[in-house]
This record gives sequence, C-alpha cells and structure tokens, in this order.
Amino acid sequence: MAALHAEWTKLRTLAGNAWLLLAVVALTVSVSAGVLTVTTCSTGDCGADAARVSLSGIYLGQVAVAILAVLAVGGEYGTGMIRTTLTAIPGRSTILAAKAAVLIAAVLVAGTVAVFGSLLAGWIILPGNGFTEDHGYQMLSLADGPLLRAGIGSVCYLILIALLSLGVATAVRDSAAAIGVVLGLLYLFPIITQMIRDPEWQRHLQQIAPMTAGLAVQATVGLADLPIAPWKGLGVLAAWAVGALLIGGWLLRSRDA
Amino acid sequence: MTIVAHDFPSLLDMEATIEVNGLRKRFGSTVALDGMSFTVRPGQITGFVGPNGAGKSTTMRVILGLDAVDEGAALIGGQPYRSLRRPLSHVGALLDAAALQPSRTARNHLLWLAHSQGMGAGRVEEVIARTGLQSVARRKAGGFSLGMRQRLGLAAALLGDPPVLILDEPFNGLDPEGIVWMRGLLAGLAREGRAVLVSSHFMSEMQDSAGHLVVVGRGRVVADTSVAEVIEAASQGRVTLRTTARSAAMTVLAQAGATVASSDAATLTVSGLSSERIVALLQQNAVPFSEVSVYRASLEEAYMELTRDSVEFSSEGFDAPRVPALNDAANGVANQAAAKGAVR
Amino acid sequence: MTATMTPFRRETEVGRDGFGQLLHAEWTKLRTVRGWVRGLGLGAVLMILIGLFGAAAVELPNEASAVPLGPDGEPVRDSFYWVHQSLTGDGSITVAVDSLTQQADTGPGRQDNVTVPWAKAGLMIKESVEPTSSYAAVLATASHGVRMQYDYTHDRAGLPGAVSAAAPRWLRLTRSGNTVTGYNSTDGSHWTKVETVRPATLPATVEVGLFVTSPDHIESAHQSTTSSATAHFGSVGLQDGWQGSGWVPDHVGGGPQSAGESTESAGGFTIRGSGDIAPIVGGIASPGNIVPLGNFLVGTFAGLIAVMVVATTYITAEYRRGLIRTTLTASPRRGRVLAAKAIVLGAVTFVVGLVTAAVVIMVCEPIAKSHGFTMFPVDLWTELRVVVSTGALLAVAAVFALAVGAVLRRSAGAVALVIAAMILPYILATSPVLPAGAGNWLLRVTPAAGFAVHQTVQKYPQVFTYYTPTSGYFPLSPLAGFAVLCGYAVLALGLAVVLLRRRDA
Repeated sequence: MAALHAEWTKLRTLAGNAWLLLAVVALTVSVSAGVLTVTTCSTGDCGADAARVSLSGIYLGQVAVAILAVLAVGGEYGTGMIRTTLTAIPGRSTILAAKAAVLIAAVLVAGTVAVFGSLLAGWIILPGNGFTEDHGYQMLSLADGPLLRAGIGSVCYLILIALLSLGVATAVRDSAAAIGVVLGLLYLFPIITQMIRDPEWQRHLQQIAPMTAGLAVQATVGLADLPIAPWKGLGVLAAWAVGALLIGGWLLRSRDA
Repeated sequence: MTIVAHDFPSLLDMEATIEVNGLRKRFGSTVALDGMSFTVRPGQITGFVGPNGAGKSTTMRVILGLDAVDEGAALIGGQPYRSLRRPLSHVGALLDAAALQPSRTARNHLLWLAHSQGMGAGRVEEVIARTGLQSVARRKAGGFSLGMRQRLGLAAALLGDPPVLILDEPFNGLDPEGIVWMRGLLAGLAREGRAVLVSSHFMSEMQDSAGHLVVVGRGRVVADTSVAEVIEAASQGRVTLRTTARSAAMTVLAQAGATVASSDAATLTVSGLSSERIVALLQQNAVPFSEVSVYRASLEEAYMELTRDSVEFSSEGFDAPRVPALNDAANGVANQAAAKGAVR
Repeated sequence: MTATMTPFRRETEVGRDGFGQLLHAEWTKLRTVRGWVRGLGLGAVLMILIGLFGAAAVELPNEASAVPLGPDGEPVRDSFYWVHQSLTGDGSITVAVDSLTQQADTGPGRQDNVTVPWAKAGLMIKESVEPTSSYAAVLATASHGVRMQYDYTHDRAGLPGAVSAAAPRWLRLTRSGNTVTGYNSTDGSHWTKVETVRPATLPATVEVGLFVTSPDHIESAHQSTTSSATAHFGSVGLQDGWQGSGWVPDHVGGGPQSAGESTESAGGFTIRGSGDIAPIVGGIASPGNIVPLGNFLVGTFAGLIAVMVVATTYITAEYRRGLIRTTLTASPRRGRVLAAKAIVLGAVTFVVGLVTAAVVIMVCEPIAKSHGFTMFPVDLWTELRVVVSTGALLAVAAVFALAVGAVLRRSAGAVALVIAAMILPYILATSPVLPAGAGNWLLRVTPAAGFAVHQTVQKYPQVFTYYTPTSGYFPLSPLAGFAVLCGYAVLALGLAVVLLRRRDA
C-alpha cells in the first residue's frame, strides 16, 4: 500500500506526466477527428467500419501512453533515482506491481476520455459524411453491443500498451531503447505482414502482432473475416504485456540496480 | 577596466588570467548573478567560496561560454571564451565530475576530447599518468567512484596543458589520500605559473592551499582578498585566556575596557586588549592563568562570519533576515574585508 | 600579493585547429559507446533477417520463370485472341467496332456482365505472332475511348466515348515503311489521325489482324477475377497495296487467360478474348509470383527504428549527463558541433544502410528465385539507386532524429516523435482505415515521403491496379519523396542550431 502511494505521488508530482496524459487524449481525439473528416461513404455498403474509423486516433494516442509508461521506470534509471526507489521499497516485484497499478489507473482515466471523445467525434462527423441509414449505417450508440465492445476494448488496449511498455522499459533500462522496442513491436508487424505474399503467413502474423491483434477489438463489421476474434486479439496483446512484465520483473530481481 | 582586443596572442606567452567583470544574470525572477566582478591571477590558487546558490557554478559556466549573461563579460587572457581556438589549450575546466557517458572508458573519454583539440593519444596517456588513472583507464567510466571521476575530470582539464584552470569542487568525493594528492597537484600547477580557480566547500583545504580568496554571496563578491587577510580580519585583536579564576579575570579585564566572553568553564575570549596588556593586568591583580594566546580564527570561522547574511537556505527559514542584530560584529569584519578587497 | 610570479611556459605542443578535428572527436565519441555500435549493428541484422524472412517464408510450387520483356526492356503481358494474316509492304486496314462487352466469373460457375475499363478491341500490326514482339494498334476500350498504343508502354487517346451499335467506332491502321499511323472516325468517312508511331521492329512482312483482350476484373485491392471481352467488328477492308488471303484465328501468349474464339458472320467477326497487352504493374494486377525489389528491403523500417534510437541518444545522452557542457567547452562554436555530429552520424548510417541493403539484395534475390518467385526486372542503375538510397534514407532519418533530439533534449519523447513521424504515416496510409486519397496525402507531406526511394516500378495510366505503397507505388517520385524527408531534416537541424546557440548549456 505504501508502495502504491509512493508511486502515485511520483506520477502525480511530475509535471510531464500530466502533459502526457493530456497528449493521450488530444492526439487520439484529433487524429480520430482527422480520419473521420476524410472518410466518406457515398454508396451503400462502402465497407468502412464506423467504429474503427472513429477510434483510429489510438494509432497515435498509444505513443503517448508508451512514453508515459516507459518514463515510469526509464526516467528513474536515467537519473539514478531507481536506487532511491529500491532502497525505500526493497521488494522489487512490489515496486513493479505498484507502478503497473498506478499506470493502469492513469491510463484508464485518460483512455476513457480519449475513446469517448473519439466516439463523440464520430457521432458528430459520420452522418454528414454519408454514414447514414441509407448506406446501411446507424448512428453510433453505446447501447450497440459491438460498439460498446470496441470502446471498452480500446481503453483496455491502451492499458495493455502501458503494461507492455512498462515491462520492456524495466527489461531494457533505457528510455530511448525501450521506446524503440515498443514502437518496433507495434509498428513493424503490420508492415512486414503486407510484404509477405502468402495469405496463410499473413494471417499468422496478424494473429500474433500486438497492435493488429489487439486492435481487432475495435472491429464491428466483417467479424467473420478478422484474422482473430476481437477479445481473443486483445488477449494476444495481454500475453505480450504479461510476457514483457515477467521478463522485466525477473531481470529487475536478478540484476543489481 | 577596458577590454583589450588581442590579435591572437601566442599561446606560449598567453596571459594566464580570468577577468570577471560586472556579470548580471536572472533566471526568471531569481537573480543569479548581481554584478559579479573579480580577477584570477596567475601563479596561485584562487579559492572561490560561498554558500549554495551564491552563483559560483553559474559564474564558472559564464566564464566558459556555456551560459549567457544579461550584462557584463568574462575574459580569459583578455578574450571571451567563445572566441578561443583550441579552447582546452587556454582553459582546463572541471565542472561536474559526473558528466560522463557511463559506457565509455576513461581513456576513450579523454581521447575524443584530445581529438577535438587536434591532439593525439600520446597526450591522453600523459594526463592519465599524471592523474594516476593508469590502472582504470580502460574501464567504463560509469563504474567509477566519485573520487576516480574527479581524477578523470582533472585529467580532462589538464589535457590541453592550459595556463588557466577552473575547477568546481575538485575535493568532493576524494579519500584522504586523494585530498593530499589533489592539494599537491594544484599547488604544483600554480607554481608552474598557471591561474587556478577552485571552488570548494572544504574551508580547511582552502586555508592550506589557496593563496587568494574570492568569497561570494547572493550573486556578488563579498570579499576578494588573500587568505591570510581574511583570517586576520576574523581573528583581529582577540586573545584566548585559560584560567581557573574566571570571574576574577572577567572583572579585571572588563574594568580595563575589554570585552570578555566565556567559551567554556576554563577559557575566556578577550577582545579590546593586547595579549601583553592582559598578562600585565592579570599579574598586577594576582589572577592565576595557565595560558594566554593570540586567537587565530580558522578560515571556516571567517567564512561563516563573512557569509552569514548571504546564506540562501539557512536553517532559520527560507530567506534569513539580512542583518541579524547579533551579527553586527561579523558584519564589521566582512565590511572591512570587502573594503580591503576593493582597495586592492 | 606575496607569491613570486613564474610566468607560465607551455611544455606540450598545441594541437591543430579546424573542423576536421571536430569530426574526428565526434567519430571517436560515436565508436566508443558500445550501445550505439550495437544498436547500429542490430539495425543491420534486423534488416537482413526480415529480408530473409520475406524471401524464404513462402515457397511457391512452381519454378521461377523469366518475366517476358517488351521491346523497351519493360516487363510486359502479351496475351489476346485475334484473327490475323501475314501482309507484306505498305498498306492499310480499316474496320468498324460496334459492340464491346465484358464478362467475369463472379461466383462458382457464374458469369456476369461487368465493366473492365481497359478491355480492348481493335486493329493491330505486329512484328510476329510471338508474344512480346513489337506492335502498333488502334483500339476501342470499355471506358477510355479509342486509344493508339504501341510496344506495350506507349498510349495516346483518340476519340472518347464507349462503342455501341448506335455509336460505332471506325478504326484504321496504315503502314508506311517503318511507321504506322492510326486513324479513327465515327462514321467511316470523316477520319481523324490519332498518332503516327515507329514500333521498334517492323519487318517487311508483318502480322495484321483484329484482336480482343480483357485484363482481370479488379473488384477491390484484394480481389480480382479473370474476365473476357466480346467485340463485334464490321467488314474488314484492306487497301493501299495490301491483298488479303484469308483470316486465321489464333491466340497469342498461351495460357488459359488468352483463351478465346471467333465467329465469322455476314461480312464481320465476333471475337472473344482475354488477357492484356500492356506493361506489368504491381499490386492486384500483378501476377502473384513477381516480386519488386523493394520488397526485400522492408526490413529498412526496423533498421530505421534502431538508427533513429541511436541518433537521438547520440545527443540526448550528452544532455542527460551534462556532458554537453564538456563538449561545448571543448568546441565553443556550437553550430559546428551540431554540424560535426550530423556529418559523422549521417556518414556512418549511410554506409551501414548501403552495405546492408546490398547484402540483403544479394542474399535474398537468389533465395526468392529458388522459392519460385520471379524478380520484377529492373536495370542495374535502378538496383544501384535502391541500394544507395537505402543508405541515404537511413542517413537523413538519423540526422532528422539527431536534430529533434537536440531540440527536445529528452530521449524518450524525441525517439517517440521521430519514429511516429516516419513510420506511423506509412502504416496509416497502407491500412484500410484511411481512404487511399488521404493516405497518399500523408505520404506526400510527412517524413514518411522518404520511403518513396524504394519505388522501382512505374505507374501506367493505361493499366488499372491499386497503385499503393505495399505494391511499391508512392505518390511522389523517389527524388521528390527523398527531398521532402530532407526538408524535414534541414528544418529540424536549423531549429536545433538556433536553440543550441541561444540556450544556456
């Protein structure tokens, strides 16, 4: 409990963190709004997934989440403060768990605002761009099961990105390298997937890619064609996050500070 | 003071001085430098002392062209630092011993610095030997103790064999052996005719090694004088008396016009009378005493009195009252010392 | 003052002064931090491994085949159905096309009428019946009016509008020596010239005929089906020296796609044909086993991330440790410090990128071939350009990252910013979330424009496909895209110099 309180105080008292959480919201909503503005549907069944389009800002918003999480440990290694932290609370797993808990809380709040803001932007913009009942689209509504799942799933996605980044940063101990690893994991899979000529391979890569699989949770149309089912896809990302945290935690315990 | 534009004086005969002239700098609403002026002369160690936040490090950074000032100028041998070519051949500086890439070896750290000045690995080996780093030169600097980092920082400062050295807290983190070594090295550098500016919190070090002292507080010079004079000013006219008959002695001396304070059960501090006169008075009145000695303040004491009103973060509060009534005497000393500095 | 003054006499030699010394110092800095050397090495290894994965992951059942090359050395498709005969010397051929329809397999055993915009029916004078031989043709298309085309890559528009019984198109080809002139007319009496062309090879005796062909029906970026076109021609006229000896039906280019038939009826022909006479392009219209060169270099994205992490840290590490003060004390002219860093970093990453790209191509090409893939043929210069520009891409991206690092002075934020700026636009542009137009716009104005250097294939307006980055097409030319990236690097570097000069270190 003391560890939790200490980590919360650290997060709260660093001005940069407030800005990063604000950036999560601002980047997500503004990119979503931008993509929404340029997406139009002029014929029936134009194939666009209204939820995915509305939540596309997550592609950029997750970068701010990654920075926040990486700095939660990377920043301490950078300044040597990690030694103070480890002296104050010698249980290293406790520290990692406390950091994770605080990050989950912070990203839960910022992510919910960001996702709600994006869906609101979709609700405002989409009908004007041809996403109307004539073209087979209903107004976005959280009473709609798949859309609710996409929204909640996107918040969970951001939280899992934070945990993945936390684990990687704990393992790598250097902020810059950790950001590189996290963004590499997220961004390289989809690019490599596009270059592979074999549909079977493409499907496998999409099933294990943290970003592609994780964002399957945003899909509300064409569920049968998804490489991986929505919640299952989020599970894949969760597996990546847990794996990174386990490796990070193990290295934190076995290494000198 | 006029600034003389030198036509790139020969490095061999360069004037080894630092002239700091009327520096003013603000960080937002905080005044960091408030008319800082002093001169560092060759051939001696100049101690640069003052409480935390007095502007020592900022002044050093300004001298080295790292920080800009709102007003004033700092010159090295008559030139602003930023106009120097091969600056490490003019000035060697040790600002922050921790300023190292942890995964680079000590030797490689010195090597890139040498390369930046057009020097080769040979010179690197020389300064490694001079600072006693031979055994650790190929180890990563990240694993160095603070003492070893200080040696490495000094090695970097000596790389260009400069006539001027600027060292920020070089004694920090050194073990007793290292302190003796550093003291000898600095004295040797001064003897070679270099101007050496050393900031330190260790007054005992300054008392033993510095010839000259620049005391700063709140961004300005409080005293600029020789160490001997500072100590003399602080101990002026005081005599220590050891006696078993304290009250008798106090009465006698007070009647003769002296100010007497008791330090402990057997010791009195007397001011206003010379030691000869005290001995005579005590003998006249048959007051027993075991020792009469001229009081000699330590530099530490002198410094504390000089800077008492300049301490930014005193234990009494964030902003201590500028002239507490109790410190009138100390202020007198400080003013005297400052006056002397100004006359020089 | 009591100290006796000994004037200082220097005993060591003063070093040389100049920019070269600064470069030397920065090079020493870069090579003596093991993490940075390893980071660059890791980038190179990832580039190679990803290239190998792309080349070796999939094995096709077929043998690699040579890509057919047209007279200009371009990879081409040449398959169609025609009725033709050999004719010698100069002469003219005239015909009217009054219907052109297209059919595609839209389901198992189902054929539907569709629109294949570049379905073709018209007249052709061809070097021989061999595929990829030289030709000139005037033809009606489904959606692009009458065209004059020759030697696969050349295309000129004639009369607009679709053909029908009510609006037939009269076509005429006239051979005169080494030139062929195409004419078109709406009524058979008022003729307009489309173009006079000079095909690469035109022997004395050429094959002359009426042809029909139809490329794949492309439904989306991921789905296409074989199609065929059926056209009705009116009576054929041979004039100006040519004497007919009877029409022979035949298909050129073999394979099921060129299957077709012709029926002769009262003074005319009905011909069905399938295939295309056009340059090969990438994407959905491309045969599945043809790989463009840039495909092997997809690992560049990974190399780029590694390089940008190192490049950013190259300066932010100095800020974090306060080492920047030592650097600026040693070299007080700050702009030159940043210039030296940029040059050293740029040079090193250029060499790393160039060598790695060369290795990737040399290693992957034979592997892909042994796995049944066919390389999209490019000339040596293009191959060289791709290798060199991979180095240049990494170098400029590294300088961009360095400059952003110098501006922000914080590693995590700077690294995230440069990676997001370089790679995220590419991902968005190639993801189905963003409409293609907006995606292309992203690839014009963001630093991701630089990826255009890997473009080795050319766009042809006379061939329909989805010209997307994944199939090797960028909205900007390689040079223009690279210039956009350079612009970002120069802007960031300029800002960094201004701030470095102005700020206290």
